Amino acid sequence: MIQVQGLSKAFSDSKLAVDDVSFEVRAGEVFGLLGPNGAGKTTTLRMLATLLKPTSGTASLNGFEITREPEKVREQIGFLSGDMGLYGRLTPLEILDFFGKLYGMDDARRAKRIQFMVTMLDMQSFAGVRTDKLSTGMKQKTAIARTMLHDPPVLILDEPTSGLDVPTARTIETAIVDAKKAGKCVLYSTHVMEEAEYLCDRIGVISGGKMKMIGTMEELRAATGKQRLREIFLDLLGLPE
Amino acid sequence: MRFSLVSAIYRKEMLDLVRDRRTLISMVVVPLLVIPLMLNVSTRVISRLQENAEQEAKSMAVGVKVTTPALREALEKAQIQMVEKDDLKDAVLKKTVAAGVEEIAGTPVRVEIYADNSNPTSSAAAARVRVALDDFKEQRIRESLRNSGIPESVLSPFVVKRTNIAGAKKMAGAMWGSILGYLVLLLMFTGGMYPVIDMTAGEKERKTIEALLATPASRREIVLGKSFAAMTAIFITAILTLGSMTYSLKSSNLGSKSPEMREMMREIPLDAHSLTLIAVTLIPVAMFAASVMFAIALFARSYKEGQSYLTPLLMVVIFPALLGGISGLEMTPALCLIPIFNASQIIRGILLGDATMANFAITTAANLAYAGIAFVIATRTFEKESVLFRS
Repeated sequence: MIQVQGLSKAFSDSKLAVDDVSFEVRAGEVFGLLGPNGAGKTTTLRMLATLLKPTSGTASLNGFEITREPEKVREQIGFLSGDMGLYGRLTPLEILDFFGKLYGMDDARRAKRIQFMVTMLDMQSFAGVRTDKLSTGMKQKTAIARTMLHDPPVLILDEPTSGLDVPTARTIETAIVDAKKAGKCVLYSTHVMEEAEYLCDRIGVISGGKMKMIGTMEELRAATGKQRLREIFLDLLGLPE
Repeated sequence: MRFSLVSAIYRKEMLDLVRDRRTLISMVVVPLLVIPLMLNVSTRVISRLQENAEQEAKSMAVGVKVTTPALREALEKAQIQMVEKDDLKDAVLKKTVAAGVEEIAGTPVRVEIYADNSNPTSSAAAARVRVALDDFKEQRIRESLRNSGIPESVLSPFVVKRTNIAGAKKMAGAMWGSILGYLVLLLMFTGGMYPVIDMTAGEKERKTIEALLATPASRREIVLGKSFAAMTAIFITAILTLGSMTYSLKSSNLGSKSPEMREMMREIPLDAHSLTLIAVTLIPVAMFAASVMFAIALFARSYKEGQSYLTPLLMVVIFPALLGGISGLEMTPALCLIPIFNASQIIRGILLGDATMANFAITTAANLAYAGIAFVIATRTFEKESVLFRS
């Protein structure tokens, strides 16, 4: 579903923010992208969501190449940025309706999916309230609903549980697990090691724009000789525990 | 181009705009409340101040240093109260007298009137003194002529009369044509400023731009939907300004007591036909304004930065808008190509009734072309990563 081959990105200062990164994510798989701040996670996800053009390399999502068919790629993905990105003067229902239209959903399908997402994420109590009056958790649920509304085959989630309380984080983790069971391809980045350990089928650790290692938890344990993901992560970054 | 997506973006932006207090203030409150209030209050205050100055000038004494009794009698006859003062200039400046009159001996005798022209009361009092002295001078001349046996008719060998054939309607057009275009154009840009910043820098500041860019909508569709919304806001500002100014001018007479002025106010040619022509003129200007402001505001990272980028644009608009209202400038096809100036000139021409169809067509076509160019620039700007993800 996601094939990334030698992807690189340099900004105006010519320093490579992402340096020759390659990986793939299959249908029904959750792939975790882990790395410290400034490692190149967000830049990689932005390139896959066609927000940024790669300097070199290629990537395709569900068969569509990111530079040749960016609009087709965007039809295949649900993208959640690290900042949620919600319109404060609109209610969650209005936001979902707007994005449903942008994804080309007809009235009947849009209404049905909105109803489904609101129920699934337990949003009934605040779905008609202006977003700027909502708590962080409510906002993140709205952002997740917006990301999954059009039932895309590929989900790209940038730190979806960042700053959330445990119950809300749990709701979102459940939504990710359900998406995986439904055969979706999920690529997500996080700083929460326990969450990655629990959710991800495979993990890629990125640092300084380079992919350090990719593997299942067992493969990572075997390669580093460490047990916990936190220890593995620090070991791959060359940092003491 | 998928118009269903453009329409969805347009409707979302409009919903967002009508819920934004800042936009509502600049788009609705300023044209509907502030402009009529400003026009009415300021003109009534000016009119009242003028009346007060005239009243005060009648009741306040004039300082005199006059020795000729006839001169003193002439001032008394004009019901001017007099007090003797040694230092007339000082008395006028200290406002102990409204004005000063000094007779200076010599051949001929010179009569000096002292007034503080920065003070309306002093000016009005000096004017009264001047009229009284002119009457006295004329009376003396007539007496001299009579005593010499020369007929008074030598003073008027012929009569000069000037007739204004423009009529009240045209005069009103000339008077308001110079200010109306300027005000409407300026308010269009100020009215559009907040919506445009909200859709560009505001979207960046609230971090909503990534989610929007990750949808299947193309950059061009996004810019078109947003530009239409900004254009609507700008056009609504223009129409509300026009409507509220028409109502204020026609209903208030601007506090004028002069019957000629009242007649002129009633005749302001802001009828349905003129208003339609002005509205048609303003549509491409609104499109142009929306795209230009959009392209500029995109570079800003925050609301505040957007304001500082767009405020100088208002200065750039003021100059051609004001210049376009100046009377005496002959509208030529070449002048019709200057943006903003051309719209201001055409609005003046419509109000005067002398705008030609050719000039109207050139102005509209030119502004449409500029709007198109500005839209292309806005779209190209919106496609630049360095602009959208500037940090």
